[in-house]
Amino acid sequence: MAEYANPDVLVSTQWVADHIDDPNIVIVESDEDVLLYEIGHIKNAVKVDWQNELQDQLVRDYVGPEKFEKLMSEKGISNDATVVFYGDKSNWWACYALWTFKVLGHEKCLIMNGGRQKWVEEERELTKDVASREKTNYKVSKTDESIRAYRDDVSKHMAAGKPMIDVRSPKEYSGELLHMEAYPQEGALRGGHIPGAANVPWATAANEDGTFKSADELSDIYENQKGLKKGDDVVAYCRIGERSSHTWFVLKYLLGYESVRNYDGSWTEWGNLVKAPIEKP
Amino acid sequence: MQRIEEIIEMFQSADYQETLALLIDYSEDLPELPERFVENRDNGFNQVHECETPVFIFIEVQNDKVDIFADVPEESPTVRGLVSILVSAFDGATTSEIEEAPADLLMQLGLAQKLGIRRVRGLSAVYAMIKNEVKKQKAGS
Repeated sequence: MAEYANPDVLVSTQWVADHIDDPNIVIVESDEDVLLYEIGHIKNAVKVDWQNELQDQLVRDYVGPEKFEKLMSEKGISNDATVVFYGDKSNWWACYALWTFKVLGHEKCLIMNGGRQKWVEEERELTKDVASREKTNYKVSKTDESIRAYRDDVSKHMAAGKPMIDVRSPKEYSGELLHMEAYPQEGALRGGHIPGAANVPWATAANEDGTFKSADELSDIYENQKGLKKGDDVVAYCRIGERSSHTWFVLKYLLGYESVRNYDGSWTEWGNLVKAPIEKP
Repeated sequence: MQRIEEIIEMFQSADYQETLALLIDYSEDLPELPERFVENRDNGFNQVHECETPVFIFIEVQNDKVDIFADVPEESPTVRGLVSILVSAFDGATTSEIEEAPADLLMQLGLAQKLGIRRVRGLSAVYAMIKNEVKKQKAGS
């Protein structure tokens, strides 16, 4: 059985339990449900909210280096800290936070495999005590835009016939739905997908218990079934770029694709863009 | 029953942390679903399908008075809290009070700005369901 390309980016719930008091480790909870941290979280974990803390509140973008420095300093995360993310929904939001941290240049980022669900199912301890960490003086020295694709990059990528993974549901991919089922307000004016993109719904990469599928299973899904080849330059997208950060993580670290970018503009940009080519079966 | 105006005022004057604390209180205060609805829930009746989280709403109208019962899993405290706001505001109300409740209630609560639109959008479906169901049962009675 093959191993993940970068097995060290995943840590187990037991590993986290063993490192709860390690001063060089910062456990970060990032969830879709904004109250989960408040009703109980892993001891010493700090909360990072993608909505209020990682996204710019005015422009459709992430916070810039200055705000990120302030956020990290206030959370008590230093430049050399190892950040272990976990969250709800098979680590969907944890991967999104990890991707954003990486864009903003934080180096050591790991994921607790199985996320919040696995921790809870194993009946491990949760606390309501908010961790107080000493403030740091965080500095962003360089950001990493190489993992982020903008619409012009995607146009070129498409024109070059390079592979793309559309991680939305089959109905969104086919254009039958203009938004995710149950999410009517994040729609687009046009339905379909970017020409050339293959459809692999993001959760295909996750097991029932929230952990990632094995390297062999992932290779079968993305390579045997969808034709990705090692060395490919890949773009992943969804509707607003959060589900696709889960797939970005899988391709980048678990399957080891060097060049994979998350297109965070995703369908809410492409499907509203005048004259953007669309494929619809 | 809390008056809707009071709830709106409370949320409007709450800062971010206070909003979270209020939502947790509401989430904890949602009454348990009465036994007589459990079978229907388990069979998938009365689910609000627009919500990604399994949310079930049961409405009874008797002598113009509306009783609202809801079921939302405890693992989804935000959705539970949001639904609980509506239950708290409208359980025990008269049909006309519910019919006349403001269409832009959710906007007035100001939660979309604080929590993000994607976290509150399911609530408009729940609100619409309550209003429709009351209208339907009133017309049928």
